Amino acid sequence: MTGLRDTLAEILGPEGVFDHPAQRRTYECDGLTAYRVAPSLVALPRTTAEVTRVVQACARAGVPVVPRGAGSGLSAGALPAANGVLIGLARMQRILAVDPANRQMTVQAGVTNNEVNRAAAPHGLYFAPDPSSGVVCTVGGNVAENSGGAHCLKYGFTSHHILALEVVLPDGTVTRLGASAPDPPGYDLRGALVGSEGTTGVVTEVTLRLLRKPEVVRTMVGDFASPSAAGAAVAGLVGAGIVPAAVEMIDNLAIQACEDAVGAGFSRTAGAVLIVELDGVPGDVEAEFEAARRLCIEAGATHLRVAADAAERALIWAGRKAAFAAVGHLSPDYVVQDGVIPRGRLPEVLDRIGRKSREAGMRVANVFHAGDGNLHPLVLYDGAREGEAARALRLSIEIVELCVDYGGSISGEHGIGFEKAGSMPRMFSRDDLDVMQRVRAAFDPAGRCNPGKIFPAPGLCGEGTYRRSPLEEAATVRQP
Amino acid sequence: MTNDLPVFRPTTLAEAREAVAEGALLFRGGGTKLDWGRAPAHLDRVVDTTGLNGIREWNAADMTATVGAGTPLAALQGQLAEAGQWLAVDPPLGAEAAATVGGVFAAGDSGPRRLRFGPVRDLVIGLVFVLSDGTVARSGGKVIKNVAGYDVAKLFCGSLGTLGLVTELTVRLHPRPEASRTLRIGADAGTAAALFAEVWASHLEPVALDWAGGGLWVRFQGRVAGVEAQLQRVRLLAEKRALPSEVLEGPAEEEAWRGLVEALAGQPGETVVRGSTLPDGFGPAAEALRAAAGEAGVEAVLHSHVGIGLHTARLSGGDAAAHARAAATWRQSLEALGGHVVIRRRIPGVEEAVDVLPVDPAGAAIMKRVKDLLDPESRCAPGRFGEGW
Repeated sequence: MTGLRDTLAEILGPEGVFDHPAQRRTYECDGLTAYRVAPSLVALPRTTAEVTRVVQACARAGVPVVPRGAGSGLSAGALPAANGVLIGLARMQRILAVDPANRQMTVQAGVTNNEVNRAAAPHGLYFAPDPSSGVVCTVGGNVAENSGGAHCLKYGFTSHHILALEVVLPDGTVTRLGASAPDPPGYDLRGALVGSEGTTGVVTEVTLRLLRKPEVVRTMVGDFASPSAAGAAVAGLVGAGIVPAAVEMIDNLAIQACEDAVGAGFSRTAGAVLIVELDGVPGDVEAEFEAARRLCIEAGATHLRVAADAAERALIWAGRKAAFAAVGHLSPDYVVQDGVIPRGRLPEVLDRIGRKSREAGMRVANVFHAGDGNLHPLVLYDGAREGEAARALRLSIEIVELCVDYGGSISGEHGIGFEKAGSMPRMFSRDDLDVMQRVRAAFDPAGRCNPGKIFPAPGLCGEGTYRRSPLEEAATVRQP
Repeated sequence: MTNDLPVFRPTTLAEAREAVAEGALLFRGGGTKLDWGRAPAHLDRVVDTTGLNGIREWNAADMTATVGAGTPLAALQGQLAEAGQWLAVDPPLGAEAAATVGGVFAAGDSGPRRLRFGPVRDLVIGLVFVLSDGTVARSGGKVIKNVAGYDVAKLFCGSLGTLGLVTELTVRLHPRPEASRTLRIGADAGTAAALFAEVWASHLEPVALDWAGGGLWVRFQGRVAGVEAQLQRVRLLAEKRALPSEVLEGPAEEEAWRGLVEALAGQPGETVVRGSTLPDGFGPAAEALRAAAGEAGVEAVLHSHVGIGLHTARLSGGDAAAHARAAATWRQSLEALGGHVVIRRRIPGVEEAVDVLPVDPAGAAIMKRVKDLLDPESRCAPGRFGEGW
């Protein structure tokens, strides 16, 4: 590694390479702190040319690379490889072009969502993906995880808002995928790369689509006796053909945490609160807001608070977005999980989670994007107590695998990362995963880019945990 | 081209696997877009997907449905309408409305309302497919939000059947709107471009914004109050410019749009050229087409999805060399604007004279590797994108 360190120092200057143990330890985990590995070296490039030369040097040395944005990911997707180089992209912070007439912007991968929105705002535009970590998280990280947020119910995920990417492939070649104009001829490689969690290359530049800010936004908070009752209101909204900009649910335990941290005015006595936001043109929004109010009351809302102005709306969202961090007020440690279920199954699944929580003797707070069935159970634990961290991780994985039993997914927006690679066989057959590996090989034949993420370790293959293939399923269905 | 080939029509996944087991394959749904891409170098059999038909699962409460790839889109929309839902794509359906869900997906075709709902690629949330080596696999799932694993479906969307046979798709559905109105404003391309810029810069949220037949078509859908208010605002913009306008609604509106959209596919004797630009490229694209057609001595009819930046030109009159010349000249202009041009339907002789599907060399190397890894013997429509793939 000394030789590689010197090479990288030549490329990046001495301040662009970290090899001291204390410095490397800063990068040993992302937002999922339960998993930690210190990388051999940390490289901090500022330009695509520097990334290219770093990746080329690593390729020559046969050393794995792990790209990292802000390190705010929640699935250990940026967990370093012990024998590898961590490439931190947070210094690539330049906004390269803003094209308001065509609602597009091109940025370096280390630009944060907040900075994108700050540059777009003067033109009345914004970037739709809005993960709770938007203040710090980078566009490159959004691309890697196909990030969502509260408003993707109506506006879609990162994948829907990425037009083109500049990527340094693991062999050190630079290529541009996608285009500013729609439908460039050929396979949609940009689409395959978004959500590949850094396993296909290092994204250095992103051309993203911006949206016009809606003319009106209306937000209300409904109090319900229980999460199940709030879940019934969500089903009512969906059934009525209303597509809100966002529908968020916070259960009682999480309400306590949010109120302690932010004081957004959520009722501490409510079993759950539902945040419903509608946006668009006034005529549509007024009609649907009124309908949504009625539906919440019919579903048993005990109190409805309508945000009077933008400041009150901002406070409500500050309360919601602080939820994960705020849970720190309730417990020394916690693990956030990310699963998806069909929206109609919310009440049943919440009951099952409650039961699992009681059986395990561990508290579980629920904060989630109810409108698209994306659950974020938070398992609270005390890492100082022997074995509790392991129990918490186990419970959290059990909960997310439960989502698969209900026809859902083990990740709605946080990605699989290192954390849930072992759960992939619950959702995908050996052949499904084999096809994904083939796609990966088209980008990274040697598997040197972010190894150990998404795909289960080969040893798991023989354990019979694999989901049946579609063919096996179809064959079973047809049996008399 | 395909008339003399043996046709396999699987009705189950197991039969689909057998159907792709040997030979050079052409996957066919409704057969409405067989001429897209290059002519395959060699074919041994047609795999007809229309036996993989019907709704397998419809979770109306979650607004998702799983359908066989050979399900006609029109039939699907008819069934979904019973619960006030639809799959939010409105591409040409072709003769006897034969276009299938799988075919529309494999071709990456959309329609005017892509402006609001996104392309079909964004509405397909799960896929089952069969590779030529017999592998049966799925990607995605059945819930609207899901990032587990690679989004392999994106590669299949627009792949023109060159990667494998799609047998089943899970799609996200949308509620059918309570109200729909269209304002048709008489305006030449230059005026329409200026009017478009005003609408685009406003808070108006049209579901479609097309220029065709000498007019700008602005469509609004949603609640009655919202639709009416928006229509009035656009009407005022037209009146300010002293442009004539008319409101279309009900069956007349549906029929008008259906007619416009079906015409996009072209007629025998026409060459259909699809260009793309940034949204502000409409004016220059229309002007460049007029010039290219004039120079080549052909007639060109343009229909632009202005807000999306997609422009379909139908060329007629003149011979193949003239069609090819007009397409090539238009391509030069659009590429200079950062856009692309592909040729779809064409009269005999055009393909020999101009590249119908030029792939950006930057991505082509990875695309070829994807093809090699998913279809190692290159048996799925070989040559449709380029030599060997």
